[in-house]
Amino acid sequence: MTDLAVHDTRSRWRDFCRSSSVSFRVGIVILALHLLAAALGPFLSPYGATEIGAGVPLSGISLAHPMGVDQIGRDVFSRVLNGAHIVILLSVAGTALGLVLGSVVGLLSAYVGGWLDEFIQRLIEAFVSIPYLVLGLLAVYAAGPELAGQPVLMVVVIAIVYAPRIARMARAAALDVVIRDFVTAARLRGDRAWSIIWRDLAPNTASTLLVEFALRTGYAPALIGAFGFLGFGIQPPSPEWGLMISENRNLILATPVTVLGPGLALASLVVAVNLTAEGMARMLGRSVDLAVR
Amino acid sequence: MMPASKAVEVDGLTIDYETGRGRVRAVDAVSFSLAPSEILGLVGESGSGKSTVAMALLGHVATTARVIGGRVRVAEEDLFGLPAHRLAHYRGRRIGFVPQNPATGLSPNRRVGAQLVEVAMHHGVASSREQALLLAREQFTLVGLPNPDSLLRRYPHELSGGQQQRVCIAIAVACRPELLVLDEPTTGLDVTTQARIVDLLKDLRTKSGISMLYVTHDLGLLSQIADRVGVMYAGKLVEIAPTERLFSTPRHPYSRALIASIPNIDRVTYGRHRLRGLLQRRDLPPGCPFFPRCDYAESSCADREQRLENAGVDHQVACQRWSQIPPAGLENGSSPSEAVAAPASSGELIELQNVSLVYGASGKWRGLFRRSRTPVVSDISLAIAPAEIFALVGESGSGKSTIARAMCGLLAPNSGRMRFREESLQGRLKRRALDIKRQIQYVFQNPDASLNPRESIGGLLSRPLRLYFPMPRAEGRRRIADGLLDVQLDPSYVGRRPDQMSGGERQRVAIARALVAQPALMLCDEVLSALDVSVQASIIDLLARLRRETGVAILFISHDLAVVRHLADRTGVLFAGTLVECGPTGTLFEPPFHPYTEELLLAIPAYRKRMRSIISATRSEDRTTTRRGCVYAGRCRLYLGQVCDEEPPPWRETAAGHGIRCHVPLEKLLAVGLIAARGEICCGAANEPRLETLQCAAT
Repeated sequence: MTDLAVHDTRSRWRDFCRSSSVSFRVGIVILALHLLAAALGPFLSPYGATEIGAGVPLSGISLAHPMGVDQIGRDVFSRVLNGAHIVILLSVAGTALGLVLGSVVGLLSAYVGGWLDEFIQRLIEAFVSIPYLVLGLLAVYAAGPELAGQPVLMVVVIAIVYAPRIARMARAAALDVVIRDFVTAARLRGDRAWSIIWRDLAPNTASTLLVEFALRTGYAPALIGAFGFLGFGIQPPSPEWGLMISENRNLILATPVTVLGPGLALASLVVAVNLTAEGMARMLGRSVDLAVR
Repeated sequence: MMPASKAVEVDGLTIDYETGRGRVRAVDAVSFSLAPSEILGLVGESGSGKSTVAMALLGHVATTARVIGGRVRVAEEDLFGLPAHRLAHYRGRRIGFVPQNPATGLSPNRRVGAQLVEVAMHHGVASSREQALLLAREQFTLVGLPNPDSLLRRYPHELSGGQQQRVCIAIAVACRPELLVLDEPTTGLDVTTQARIVDLLKDLRTKSGISMLYVTHDLGLLSQIADRVGVMYAGKLVEIAPTERLFSTPRHPYSRALIASIPNIDRVTYGRHRLRGLLQRRDLPPGCPFFPRCDYAESSCADREQRLENAGVDHQVACQRWSQIPPAGLENGSSPSEAVAAPASSGELIELQNVSLVYGASGKWRGLFRRSRTPVVSDISLAIAPAEIFALVGESGSGKSTIARAMCGLLAPNSGRMRFREESLQGRLKRRALDIKRQIQYVFQNPDASLNPRESIGGLLSRPLRLYFPMPRAEGRRRIADGLLDVQLDPSYVGRRPDQMSGGERQRVAIARALVAQPALMLCDEVLSALDVSVQASIIDLLARLRRETGVAILFISHDLAVVRHLADRTGVLFAGTLVECGPTGTLFEPPFHPYTEELLLAIPAYRKRMRSIISATRSEDRTTTRRGCVYAGRCRLYLGQVCDEEPPPWRETAAGHGIRCHVPLEKLLAVGLIAARGEICCGAANEPRLETLQCAAT
């Protein structure tokens, strides 16, 4: 039996690799580079992230400064490397918090149904109707000046923006599950709502939620970047990418090089996560189809 | 018996399927022939290749399939050698096909008459529309559809399942084909409808002399219709013999096991030789494919290829040991009365008094949206004693499941009272105490849906345990292992997930999950209908044993009276939400019968053989009924006239604890029932006049 299980896992893994698309493979390679940079960046960077006078300000691309030098003489390449883990950690943490909040609300809403479901749905619609940035800014404003610029606030802001959208997705996925016999069996048995949600609904909506998580994580760096750019995100002198772009924006026409580094890093991260998430969704979708058939 | 010319000849047919994991041999060197106007049954478990053979007779193979060798000759033409346009002409014109599901066999947005006309015109059987319409009317009459003129203009969804299948048959035989291929044509239908379709097919054969290939997994059904039966296993034809002979002296161990698994009204079984294990295509030995599951196998069976040998007149079997296996005599199994009689009831366990359920009437909005209130169950009174097995029988839509759902609290009755252990039972689940929920456990029809696919077997069983009996982990593990042993599953299954088990094993897990709660009442809602026939028998045994050992009472819902006779102490017969007969199972099978009970009995092969002459003479078409009178008045063969339509029939006590709800006087029911039950004396055409006189005497 054990042999069989091992064989099964192996062949499943092989099937998984074979069925992956080109875009998924490209995505996962770029994503791996980003993760590597996030993990090792601070040790690899030639200069310190906040080291002023690493080179001649705005001196352009050279071997010593592959991404140029910013207006106060900091090495952009070193800053980009040092900023990677900030962006990635904030995105993952924020989306994860949003996922937890959103799925609890969505699954509960689907399970309980009735007027509670109606109420939660209307509330979610109200939230979703407010644009991302406006909602985020409202949250920043509500948090007050003490928290402004703290990474924790950024995490919470992302979670607040994402949670209603994830809740809606979770509810839709769970509506398919609550009508199944095993949920009825659990109700008949007298299981508590949280037990049914945790043991019946969550595992059976997990694949949908996983894809949702991956997709949302992909957009989170852009959101963090936007907040940084507007000056409501992480505060200077942090090497957060959005903030870097913002700091150098008045020089965009004169020396675009300084913006190019963090811009490319941000763009490639967003694209990589999206490619990966999309490939994952397609593969999960297919495997779900296979299981059904 | 064997005429010179053959309608169909299949010779060494071999078909492979391309799958993601390589090739699978679906059909392996199958050969057989069909004489004109012969009905050959092909039987096997799911995955045995029987449908692939059926399709090959139409000259069709799936896109992933490849014909490796062999020939199929229909009317002296090799189908696989025909060019595509000639083959297309053959299909429909000379070979008719009746699909399993008539709902998908008919186009949903065209009138059924037009569909038949299209076929007739296409194949040039009719030269003009008028002629085709005439033919259509003729065909509809031939297949026993009432009022062909109005039915021709209906859409498929306006017909019942049985009528749809009749239309499919009418279309299939419209061009007077030589061969009719039927792929499980009655599987989706109610037992009573199934019996009528079988009658129709036999009638068609005698009238028009069509040969038929009847593919099914239901061997019991073939005993009624087929002249010869071929048994398929893992793509091989393992035995082929005239029907009577196959049933009296099956030679192949697999055929024996299949026959032993048929729920039989007379309880004739081959003792212990039931089918064990599962057909697993991936690891079959090079020799006999049945080797891993065979009780009689010797080591050489696994390596030596088995070929069909003669084992008697017209009887061939592919087993090297057939002559050495002792001819398992028909052991008369235990009689139904032997089933443990319910202990003298010390009060009822659950009691329903005048319970009615109405759909579309509950909810807060009923004042706003006045939907039609359909009574699903009306005025039901019944009681189940502790440790009793009570069966509820009826066709789909009769309200069987609704009653079970009311008992477990999923649906609250609109009127009437329920009592459990002498105390009032709340209709709504929310108002019931946890201990009441524990005592009433529900087992669903389909284990695929009732087991969470993401949970391990251990996890599934631990949930009721932890909910009802808080206990340390080690103790819980022991109880789970015990629970699995109780349903004859290996405790090593705890780590598996439902998709790693067979359907029968999954249903066992579902039963185990109900049992670990130590219930007083288990509601089994059609628990057999999603399972292969061979697996059903073992689940029936399991339920009977569980009742004996744990003293759990069981409400067993089924549409099949034959199954019920094995198991139940008492049986209620339900028609359109009304209990029409209720009493001890033994007396239910003795006259007098309620006319509907009789109809159900007729659907059972063993009874059917005796009683057929009666129904064909007296069957009446469905009439419209009012809800005031008897619900069965519209289909009743003993319809008395206005009184049946206008007045609700009275309960008449026939024996202790046995009642029939009918206007027809008991004496007449008894007389008519006696004729039916002692069918031996009035079987066959010669006895027909005597039958008539008896019936007159009865009236």
